Amino acid sequence: MSKSSASIETMPGSASGNHARGWLAASGADYLLAAVLFALPFLIGGSWTFALGICFANSIGVLAVSVLVRYGGEVSIGHSFFAAVGAYAVAILDTRYGLSLVASLPLALVLGTVCGVAFAWPSRKLSGIYLAVSTMALALAVPELINNADWLTGGYEGLYVSQSVIPGVEASLQRYYAGLLALIAVVYGLRRLRHSRQGLTLLLAKQHPAAADAFGTRQVWARIAVMGISGGIGGVCGAILAFAGSTVSPSSFTFWTSIFLLVGSVVSFYGLSLTRALVGGAFLTLVPQFLSASGAWIPVLYGLALLGMILIGHYLPRIRSFLFASKGGA
Amino acid sequence: MSDGLGNILLDLFPLMWSGMITGCLYALGALGLVMIFKSSQVVNFSHGNVAGFAAFLIYGFSSGVLLNLSWGVAVLLAMIAVVAIAFLIYAVISPLVFESELTATISTLGFGLIAQGATLLIFGADIVNLDLPIPRFSMSFLGLFITGYDLTVLAVAVVTIGTLFFVVDYTKLGIAFRAISENPFAAEVCGLNLRSIHLFSWIVAAILGVVGALLIVPTTFLSVTTVAAFMLQAFAAAVIGGFASLPGSLVGGILIGILMNLFTFYVSAEFTSTFLLVLILLALNVFPNGILARAGGSRV
Repeated sequence: MSKSSASIETMPGSASGNHARGWLAASGADYLLAAVLFALPFLIGGSWTFALGICFANSIGVLAVSVLVRYGGEVSIGHSFFAAVGAYAVAILDTRYGLSLVASLPLALVLGTVCGVAFAWPSRKLSGIYLAVSTMALALAVPELINNADWLTGGYEGLYVSQSVIPGVEASLQRYYAGLLALIAVVYGLRRLRHSRQGLTLLLAKQHPAAADAFGTRQVWARIAVMGISGGIGGVCGAILAFAGSTVSPSSFTFWTSIFLLVGSVVSFYGLSLTRALVGGAFLTLVPQFLSASGAWIPVLYGLALLGMILIGHYLPRIRSFLFASKGGA
Repeated sequence: MSDGLGNILLDLFPLMWSGMITGCLYALGALGLVMIFKSSQVVNFSHGNVAGFAAFLIYGFSSGVLLNLSWGVAVLLAMIAVVAIAFLIYAVISPLVFESELTATISTLGFGLIAQGATLLIFGADIVNLDLPIPRFSMSFLGLFITGYDLTVLAVAVVTIGTLFFVVDYTKLGIAFRAISENPFAAEVCGLNLRSIHLFSWIVAAILGVVGALLIVPTTFLSVTTVAAFMLQAFAAAVIGGFASLPGSLVGGILIGILMNLFTFYVSAEFTSTFLLVLILLALNVFPNGILARAGGSRV
């Protein structure tokens, strides 16, 4: 399994040799993009503002999957579970107690993290495809659990999210900016993690398990920590999804949701920057919008995109080295 | 007291029988997954969707939606189509297989999505009926109600699985397959062509998937998700068998069939996926190498 996790890391982007400069350029693009996004609602129509709000939520979900790949070397097709936990935390606090996102977002984060840890514990010794299959089983159980807890979750019909964060401000703007701020916060947190002691420890535990062992990092701890972080981000994704979409229902958290999040993560080349996350999120949000007339094309297109990106990731280094080799020869 | 016990036994027996019948079908699906995993270390997430597409093709070829052929010819055509699809999938992912199994596994999800989309595009989201041309027949035996369908499933499963095990155990191809799953490097050094053996397992798996899909559909109906949902039980069966053992997946399939039946009847019909999740997690932790794996420790 170590072989497979190592080669995921050799996707373009992470393989760039000039790391420091690449990072600065990436963060520059991020700042620019963030500035544009802050101004955007004043330039575009309401339906686009709404779609972008959902897009931010999906971007956060894509980040949750990418974190697991980057820091744990594992692939999850069960992140709809964590998103569902976050979304229902928001919706239930909203409808039952009249609490807004200010109170429920932290709860979603905590619950997502707890669920991540709770799932990581029984699966702590699994890796690679075994973990993937158990996350698949997790995703499959979600709609059923939601539907059967209808006294809490509203069953098939779902729940509405209506409390506003700042009373008086237009709802569409609130939905947009809540998503944007949460996305930026997650990206910022992940950037800090990359340079923190804990983040480096996790990377070490992934890349060189034996070395990490020697430094006193237990594999089980690393796995549980990564799943906790990933689950927490998944919870935030769900919370924003619920708030931006103003409704939650079991049909938004099926096995396919999980697969789509993975598709988004692959499409963004498992990137953790704002730009990459938005590429993944936009792919998940905007493609269905453009194809709303012919829904059956969506899975085909997603499948092709998934394959295309994987094959590009596979062949690009080869093509690049071939080009450079021929240039050097001439 | 004894009356209650008798009633339980009276329920238990038919439940286990019908569980075993569906379990044979789960085993057919699981065997395909395990064949592919054993040879190429890839989990084929497109298995259910491709098999479902094939079931729709059979429906399309025999009902007049696409063509108006007899059932047998339709099955044959669908088999050919499925072998072609398996060939295509393997051709695309084979460069990935040798680099990273996990990446190849993710790319099979892509093929699953495409197969599902293709089914939707060609046949729509409607529910259709696809029956087997089997004689209507039923009999009672020791309190069991046995139908022609049960016997057909049993016969087909025994013949298919028997043939598979014979091929794997006694033919040259089977020996090559086992050699590659034991040690791909050594097998390649000995002159075996890894790709052709991989392809063999992909094609066999696709055919097993179609057989399983054909036999499971009469119990429900055919929709875009039926066969994919059925394959999830096959996944659980493969996991319980350890994902790398053909006999293990057979036992796992039958076990899943019986356990699911008992769970649905005695506990709840609404939490079956949750039950599967618990089963999978339990199996992976208690029997990480499958239920048929020998106890650890080395012989001196």
